[in-house]
Amino acid sequence: MNLLSVQDLQTHFIFRDIDHQLREAKALNKVNLTLNSGQVLGIVGETGAGKSLTAQSICGLLRPPAKIVGGSVTFQGRELLTLSEDEINTIRGAEIAMVVQNPRSSLDPLTQIGAQLVRLHQTHTGGPLAGSRKKALDMMQAVGIPDPEGRFTAWPHELSGGMAQRVLIAMALINEPKLLIADEPTTGLDVTVQAQILDLLNELVARFDMGCMIITHDLGIVAHYCDQVAVMFAGEIVEQGPTREVFLTPAHPYTQQLLAATPERLQLGVKSQLGGQPPDLFNLPTGCLSQDRCTLATEKCGAPPPLIEISKGHLARCHFVKPAEKGRSKSNE
Amino acid sequence: MNFSHFIFRRTLMVIPLLVGVVFLTFMLVRVGGLDPVGLLAGPTATAEEFKMIREELGLDQPLWKQFVIYAQNVIRGDLGESWLSNRPVLDDIMARSLISLELLFWGIGIGTLIGVPMGLRAAFRPNGRFDQTTRILSLLGFSIPTYWLGLVMLFVFFYLLRWAPPGMGRISLMISPPDFITGSYLIDSLLTADWRAAHSALAHLILPVICLAIVSAAPIIKQTRAIALEVIASDSVRYARACGLQTRTVRSIVFKNSATPIITFVGTEITGLVGTMSLIEYVFAWGGLGQYGLNAIVRGDFTAVQGYVLTLALFSVLVFLVVDIIIAIIEPRVDLS
Ligand SMILES: Nc1ncnc2c1ncn2[C@@H]1O[C@H](COP(=O)(O)OP(=O)(O)OP(=O)(O)O)[C@@H](O)[C@H]1O
Ligand SMILES: [Mg+2]
Repeated sequence: MNLLSVQDLQTHFIFRDIDHQLREAKALNKVNLTLNSGQVLGIVGETGAGKSLTAQSICGLLRPPAKIVGGSVTFQGRELLTLSEDEINTIRGAEIAMVVQNPRSSLDPLTQIGAQLVRLHQTHTGGPLAGSRKKALDMMQAVGIPDPEGRFTAWPHELSGGMAQRVLIAMALINEPKLLIADEPTTGLDVTVQAQILDLLNELVARFDMGCMIITHDLGIVAHYCDQVAVMFAGEIVEQGPTREVFLTPAHPYTQQLLAATPERLQLGVKSQLGGQPPDLFNLPTGCLSQDRCTLATEKCGAPPPLIEISKGHLARCHFVKPAEKGRSKSNE
Repeated sequence: MNFSHFIFRRTLMVIPLLVGVVFLTFMLVRVGGLDPVGLLAGPTATAEEFKMIREELGLDQPLWKQFVIYAQNVIRGDLGESWLSNRPVLDDIMARSLISLELLFWGIGIGTLIGVPMGLRAAFRPNGRFDQTTRILSLLGFSIPTYWLGLVMLFVFFYLLRWAPPGMGRISLMISPPDFITGSYLIDSLLTADWRAAHSALAHLILPVICLAIVSAAPIIKQTRAIALEVIASDSVRYARACGLQTRTVRSIVFKNSATPIITFVGTEITGLVGTMSLIEYVFAWGGLGQYGLNAIVRGDFTAVQGYVLTLALFSVLVFLVVDIIIAIIEPRVDLS
C-alpha cells in the first residue's frame, strides 16, 4: 500500500463574476501521484501549474472559491477528501506536516517560538507540559538551531529566514509525521542556507522514515534530493517516475522541453522550446492540455491522452508514449 | 526598564504636536470668518467704538504678536473669558469635559464591545447568514443621521412608550445631583449610595448612550470584519490551519493578530466621534463639551471656540498616546528604542 495516493484529483475555482455568471477555473485536472514511506518526491512545473494547490488540496486547506470537484486522496489507506474539518485537523500537523515557503511570516508573530512548538505538540500528542517542552527543545536541537534554550523565548521577527525555516521544520517534525510536504522550502534563502536546509530535510526524512514531497522550481534540487519526480502542467501531472529515469529518458514532450530549458543547456546554445501561454483555465482545450505548445501534436491529441505506464512506476500522460517492453527498464528503488 | 523609557520618550514626542495644535487653533479661528468685534459691539456701534474694542482685544496687534500672547496664555492655563457666560473658558471646559467623557466612555465602550465580536464573527463565516444580517445592520447604522436617530428614540421611548425620561439633561429636575466626586452623576450617586439619583442618572444615560453606541458600532463592525478577513488570509493563519490547530486556537490567533489594527481604529473613531457627540448632546440637552462647542460656534463666541478646538486636539493627542502605549504592551514587534 502506498503512503499517499492521489487519484484524478480535480480542484476548481467556482465563483460568480461581476455579471453574476458562474465561472469555473479548472486549476487542477487529473492529478495522479503516489508516494511511499522513505521516498522523496519532487514536484516540478512552471508557475501557475497548480503545485501549491495540489498540496493544499491534499491537506484540505482550500478556502472558497476553491473546491475539490473530483478524485480521491488516500493516506495510509484512508480517504481524506470526505473527512470533516475536525477529523482532518487531527491529521494535519500530526501525520501530515507542511513546511511552507515564507517561514518568517508564517509563524504566529505574537507567540514565542518555543510556545508555538509546545502548542503544536500539545494539540496533537498531548501529555504533560514538561514533556512537550523537552520535545520542543530536542527538535530545535535536531534541526540545528544553536542555543535552543535561549531561542525558546525568541519572537518570530527576531529570527533570520534560514533560522525561521529551521523552526518550521522543527514544527513539522515535532509530532513525528508520516508525510512531510514542503512547498518551496528554500525559495528566498541564500544558496548556502538552501543547501543546509535541504540536507537537513533529507537526513531527517531518512531518519524518521517519512514520505516527503518537495515542491520546487529547481531541477537541480530534484536531481540531488528526490527519488521520484512528478512533472506538472496546467493542473495535470503529465509524468511521474524515478528521478533518474525521468531525467535520462523523459517520456512526455513537455518534460523533454522542461529538461532542455535548464540554464546550463541554454548556455550551451540549445534553443528552448518552452514558451507560449499555458492554457486558459477557464476554457481548457478538449484532449491533451499541452497540445498548443507541443511540436508533436496531431488530431489525435484532441482526445484525452491515456496515462501510460512506461515501466514500473514511470507513467506519462501522452498519446505518443509507448510502454517499454517488459523487463528492459529497471526502476531504481 | 526599557518600557518606562519608551513611555517617557513617547510622551515627550507629544510636545511638538501640542505646539502645532496651539498654532492651528489660533489660526483656525483667525481665518474661520468669525467677527468677534462686530458681535461684541452690536449693530448700533460707531466706528470709534469698533476701534476701541479692537484695541481692547489686542486685535490691532500684528498676527505673530497675537500668537505669542495667545501661546503664553495657553501655557499659563488662561484660555480667556467666554463672552457668553462671562466665565473663564478653562472653567467651563473643565466642568463640561467630564460630562461628555461619561457619555463618550459608555457609548464607545458599548459600541466596541458589540462591534468587535460582531465583526469577528462575520469574518469567520464571510457571506454567511450572520455576515449578511450584520452588513445590513451596519449599513443602517452608517446611513441614519445621528440627530434624527436621537429624535426618533426620544419620540418612541419617551413620548409614545414613556419608558425613558425626556431628553432634558443628565438627571431629573426633581432630584438633586450627587456631590461632585468624579463628575459622572451615575458613579457619584452610586458612591454616595444615593439610589434615587443613581436610578435617574442611569435612565437619562441610556438613550444617548445607545445612540452613540449604534453610531460608533457600525464602522467598528465593518472595519473589524475587514481587518479579521485580512488576518485570516495571512500566511500565519493559513499556516496555523495547516498545523491542524483547533478552530478555537486558530480563532484566538486571528483575534490577537487583529487587535493592534482594531485598537488603532477605535482610537481614530473616538477622536472622530466628537462631531457626532455634539449633535447627540444637543438633542438630549446633555450640557457637555460638545453642546458647549456647538453653541460657541453658532454664536461666534471665539475664545470659547478656541478653547473647545484646543481641548479636542489635546484629547486626540492623548488618545493616540494611549493607543500607542497599549500597542507597545501587546506587540512584541514594536521596537521600544
Ligand atoms: N482565486 C482564484 N481564482 C481563479 N484561479 C486561481 C485563484 N487562485 C489561484 N488560481 C489559479 O490556480 C492555479 C494554481 O496555482 P498554484 O499556486 O497552485 O500554482 P503553483 O504551481 O504553486 O505556482 P508557483 O510556482 O508560482 O507557486 C494558478 O494558475 C492560479 O492562476
Ligand atoms: Mg506555489
